Amino acid sequence: MNTLFEIKNLKKHYEVNKGLFAKPTIIKAVNDISFEVKKGEVFSIVGESGCGKSTTAKLLMTIEEPTSGEIFFEGKDITKFNKEELREYRKKVQIIFQDPYSSLNPRWKVGKIIAEPLKLNSDLSAKEIKTEVLAIMKKVGLEEDWYDRFPHQFSGGQRQRIGIARALILKPEVIICDEPVSALDVSIQAQVLNLLLDLQKEFNLTYIFISHDLGVVEHISDQITVMYFGDIVEANDVEGLFSNPQHDYTKQLLSAIPTIDF
Amino acid sequence: MLLEIKNLLTCFYSDDDVNRAVDTVSFSIPQGKTVCVVGESGSGKSITSLSIMGLIEKPGKIVSGEIIFEGIDLLKQSKKYLRSIRGDKIAMIFQEPMTSLNPSYTVGYQLDEVLRLHQKDLNKKERYERVIEGLELVAMPYPQEKYGEYPFKLSGGQRQRVMIAMAMMCEPKLLIADEPTTALDVTIQAQVLDLMRKLQREKGTSILFITHDLGVVAQMADEVVVMYRGHVVEKATAKELFTNPKHPYTKALLNSIPSPGKVQRKSKLDTVDENVDYLQFSKEIR
Ligand SMILES: Nc1ncnc2c1ncn2[C@@H]1O[C@H](COP(=O)(O)OP(=O)(O)O)[C@@H](O)[C@H]1O
Ligand SMILES: Nc1ncnc2c1ncn2[C@@H]1O[C@H](COP(=O)(O)OP(=O)(O)O)[C@@H](O)[C@H]1O
Ligand SMILES: [Mg+2]
Ligand SMILES: [Mg+2]
Repeated sequence: MNTLFEIKNLKKHYEVNKGLFAKPTIIKAVNDISFEVKKGEVFSIVGESGCGKSTTAKLLMTIEEPTSGEIFFEGKDITKFNKEELREYRKKVQIIFQDPYSSLNPRWKVGKIIAEPLKLNSDLSAKEIKTEVLAIMKKVGLEEDWYDRFPHQFSGGQRQRIGIARALILKPEVIICDEPVSALDVSIQAQVLNLLLDLQKEFNLTYIFISHDLGVVEHISDQITVMYFGDIVEANDVEGLFSNPQHDYTKQLLSAIPTIDF
Repeated sequence: MLLEIKNLLTCFYSDDDVNRAVDTVSFSIPQGKTVCVVGESGSGKSITSLSIMGLIEKPGKIVSGEIIFEGIDLLKQSKKYLRSIRGDKIAMIFQEPMTSLNPSYTVGYQLDEVLRLHQKDLNKKERYERVIEGLELVAMPYPQEKYGEYPFKLSGGQRQRVMIAMAMMCEPKLLIADEPTTALDVTIQAQVLDLMRKLQREKGTSILFITHDLGVVAQMADEVVVMYRGHVVEKATAKELFTNPKHPYTKALLNSIPSPGKVQRKSKLDTVDENVDYLQFSKEIR
């Protein structure tokens, strides 16, 4: 498999001012992490809240600029991209969020929400765009006549499908999934996981899958990276990580999962 | 039985509609045991617990049924009586701790107040020690410092731990915990669950534990009540439920969890079909 991402010594430190005369505190949200993501795999990042998962996602999405370090995508350092290169990159790498509601504009109809990236990034006609949107809606299990509905008219699971459709519309290579099923009931979670796995096969996607739910991660992943306070403490393939965890924190995390065994 | 709920019907009324949020639900909670109510969002779990606490407000109403606590039907008692057992014999931990902590008092003050009301024999110094103990029990970092902090200064998980400490310090007969660990990290969740079990062992507390997480159910429950669209579709001991579920809804729910060993990695998970009304299967089961 080809390497798609190569992340080297990536850091993101935030300076937080505590008052006029106090020295600012440095929050090391991501503190010198390195990893590689291969094309076509599900690469998961796990860890508890505040460990730096979303910050890592934002750095890969170029929503945030790194304090230092390099992010190579297909061999090129994205932190050195010019405007045009960034534009191309951002088409190839999409994101879906935990809370599909707050990430969907409540005043826009579903059709418009899904079409937006295509409008900004192609010169297709309105009619062509609508055809594409309807096709992708069908793919993710949204009915055609929901095109004119607003986000609040949908259940949590359906809203997550809208988010997935929007991420897919530009035919990306990579989707960063930041806690995509964390807000969903288990049964709905299962539907969304099934959909993500189907789409991955069909479109040959690479997923960077962020989650704190190790059950979900074990089901979907090829590779797993464990983060703890901004650091990577352990990285392994899924079998290795679950059968033979090395780091104390990983062990602690694994033993904390409420298991069902009778 | 410490608590018996019989045919509880709680409805919400709108202009042209009645929502039977809790629809003739019956189950009971034995002394010193944990009963878990599990179900998807909107299935009526929280409204069941609010009904027990006497906290249903318009447009909602408890229409009929009985809620018998220590032999007394709570639905026939005055507001004053209900107030007197809340936070004393029955304590509740809510999912969203911010709504139940008073933002204008410090954490320590609010915990101290519980003891002032319910443990009148303690003096000020003893109460302080008990509060710190309570905060240590729930693994609060820097308990002495946290004593003087206001709720908004704490993280969500820390606020939830304050709520748990508060509920446990009342030493209630019945602890109603509505998704108490849903917002917490797994390692903190594990600590909190341990803590609740410890309290139960030591004080003989009965726990009504509401959750949508079947892993948590497996860890906590002696008995399980499965709710679906306001109805109880299955009641069983935890072991029965997980080894031999009877209702199609329960089966679908259990099979939708990605559980290592049982389900092959990356294979299709079973799902609950949103277009099926699983209530139709209930008659055949009973
Ligand atoms: N814009 C910001 N300013 C200051 N601190 C931040 C900012 N964004 C995130 N952080 C901090 O960085 C750490 C990592 O956050 P995040 O990446 O969101 O964690 P996760 O997604 O793993 O829960 C946390 O301590 C968080 O409070
Ligand atoms: N304040 C309210 N007003 C109207 N309907 C409500 C209110 N609270 C709850 N409901 C309805 O009652 C039903 C059960 O809700 P709830 O008990 O909160 O579910 P959950 O199982 O997620 O805790 C739902 O249909 C919900 O919409
Ligand atoms: Mg995050
Ligand atoms: Mg609820």
